Amino acid sequence: MPTIALDAMGGDFAPFEAVKAAAQISRETEIELVLVGDQKQIQPLLERQEYRPETLQIHHAPEAIGMAEEPHAAIRNKSRASVCVAAELVAKGEADALVTAGNTGAAVLACARFFRTLPGIRRAALASVYPRQTEYPGQDRFALLLDVGATVRCGATELVQFALMGSAYAKRISKVPSPRVALLNMGSEENKGGDTLVEAFLRLQHLPGINFTGNVEGHELVKGKADVIVCEGFVGNIVLKLLEGLAELLAEMAGGAARESWRYKLGLRVMESGIARLRELTDYTKYGGAPILGFEHLAIKAHGRSSAGAIANAVKVAAKGVRDDVVREIRALVEQ
Amino acid sequence: MARGKALLSHHPLVLRWDLDKTYLKSDFHTLRGLVTIPFEKPEDKVAVPGVVPLIRHLRRVAQEQKRPVRVYFISASPPQIARAIKEKLALDGIEYDGITFKNQLQNIMRGRFRNLREQVGYKLTQLLRQRPQEPVEAQEILFGDDWESDPVIYSLYADILGGRVRSEELPEILSAIGVDPELIETAVELAAAVPKADAVERIYINLERRTPPALFQPFGARMVPTFNYFQTACCLYQDGHLDLAGVEAVAKALLEEAAYQPRRLCNSLADIERRGHLHQAVRAEIERCLARAGLLVASRRPLPERLIGWLRERVTGKRQAPRVVLPHPLHEPVIDYRALVVAWKRRHEETEASA
Repeated sequence: MPTIALDAMGGDFAPFEAVKAAAQISRETEIELVLVGDQKQIQPLLERQEYRPETLQIHHAPEAIGMAEEPHAAIRNKSRASVCVAAELVAKGEADALVTAGNTGAAVLACARFFRTLPGIRRAALASVYPRQTEYPGQDRFALLLDVGATVRCGATELVQFALMGSAYAKRISKVPSPRVALLNMGSEENKGGDTLVEAFLRLQHLPGINFTGNVEGHELVKGKADVIVCEGFVGNIVLKLLEGLAELLAEMAGGAARESWRYKLGLRVMESGIARLRELTDYTKYGGAPILGFEHLAIKAHGRSSAGAIANAVKVAAKGVRDDVVREIRALVEQ
Repeated sequence: MARGKALLSHHPLVLRWDLDKTYLKSDFHTLRGLVTIPFEKPEDKVAVPGVVPLIRHLRRVAQEQKRPVRVYFISASPPQIARAIKEKLALDGIEYDGITFKNQLQNIMRGRFRNLREQVGYKLTQLLRQRPQEPVEAQEILFGDDWESDPVIYSLYADILGGRVRSEELPEILSAIGVDPELIETAVELAAAVPKADAVERIYINLERRTPPALFQPFGARMVPTFNYFQTACCLYQDGHLDLAGVEAVAKALLEEAAYQPRRLCNSLADIERRGHLHQAVRAEIERCLARAGLLVASRRPLPERLIGWLRERVTGKRQAPRVVLPHPLHEPVIDYRALVVAWKRRHEETEASA
């Protein structure tokens, strides 16, 4: 069974939700978990949970990085922060993967500090899954978008590498034999989007080992035309937040409409099961977090607002990634 | 070699064991289990991993210490299944000095259906009845589980013996629990007559149901909730009732019977230490012994790493991991049973409802 190092002090509701997630994982799975954080805070919380101690360790880390802290300064000044200690445990082979719901920048920097990048990979990418339409029966309901914030500005080489990493991840995790990879652009033609995107397009077109389908525009993101969408971190982050915001807006609008008129309320009641499905589909807590790709070890970044369930899902995804050897798949594809 | 205060004591040692979920892996909480249990053959019954070597080694160590030792079982099962249980104990090679079953037939005949499920009155009166058969100086260790009311029963019993529950208080507590008035009367009489002595040294609760350990804190340090018998064995070693060979035997049983891995034993050991029931030095001692026997991998870090850790502690003033201070079981506040019963009943009802 894989061993996952879980940063207990990361996230808006840390350490409570992380400890709850750890207890849940210990009850429901055989995954070995190392809970990294302030033992004085973690232990009393753990003792209030139903848990199995056999698969659970606590590794004390005296410091923590706050969600609003400047990542570079925090990593520099807090070498014993939980996310650093967790990454160090993974680097030393005491755990197989890292999961954190903490400060995204600090998580990426901790990985960069303790993990080696894969040979040939220049920059890390943060990938995120999002719901989309399915085009054929059996198609995964989720597509992978990368990068969503690890590398703000990218050159063509980085975009090509992200495509390779995303394709390998989708192959292993979503079990798509030949994931369709696309570049996010402002037009479908190959000469759109400026020099970087044009160069990336040309290189991807001739790259063996991946199934490149060309450019996709913003409105096509949710249409199931591609399984892996590649863009630079700046754009990816905005897209991701926009999708999340839209989901929240829709839920709020529906609630508002129901308050306004009993007819809307009745209509919503009729569509209740459909709305519940939609809510489930757009619920980030079910996704299991965003993988940080490009390193010799796997790291999963869960949403900062993650509940115990969401963190537990992230741990399960990390364990799956380790079992399916995602890193080796990426390495093989990049070396090819 | 056993360690600790028991070495100095030659007082008789009484070990009282609950049977279902503490000694036996009984499935009486499912309809299927309820139907099949009466027809189970002795060889079909399964002991909780580690319990058999634990009882055997506790007896051996006590005998080596020249302490008279007695093992009693108390069960809420009807006497109709006594034969199968006694044969199971014989199969496991467990020597015991007494076993009590609950006469459910009598309850049915007398129309006392509430008493069929109620355990506090039954067990408490049985314990109080049996106690005068032992010398006043006899020390007791009690073993139960988290399925029903063992923590409340054992705690009450210990505090009645210790003279910490006043005679006018007992009926009120038992009535709050919902004990049959006739049994309350008997319990009060027995409690008044029982010779007073601080006889109960520890109460071990097998967390078969994975009840959060924090819920046992109101019972004080005398009660030790453990997730497996390896944790129990470690604490008994600390108290001098077991030697390292005994701990090793229990660890081996878990590895062989319950598919434990060395790492899981390590984690269990760390857990019981973190929860404040095991001293750091004792943990290290057990770890070294089991590592020598090849049963677990010692968690001792390499020397350079330990040196860096030590230096870092000195420079930053921050400890690597907080040390746990063990509370003494006899230096604890008196238990507020009224509040405890209310909380315990609520929790019990919640878990029953969720099950």
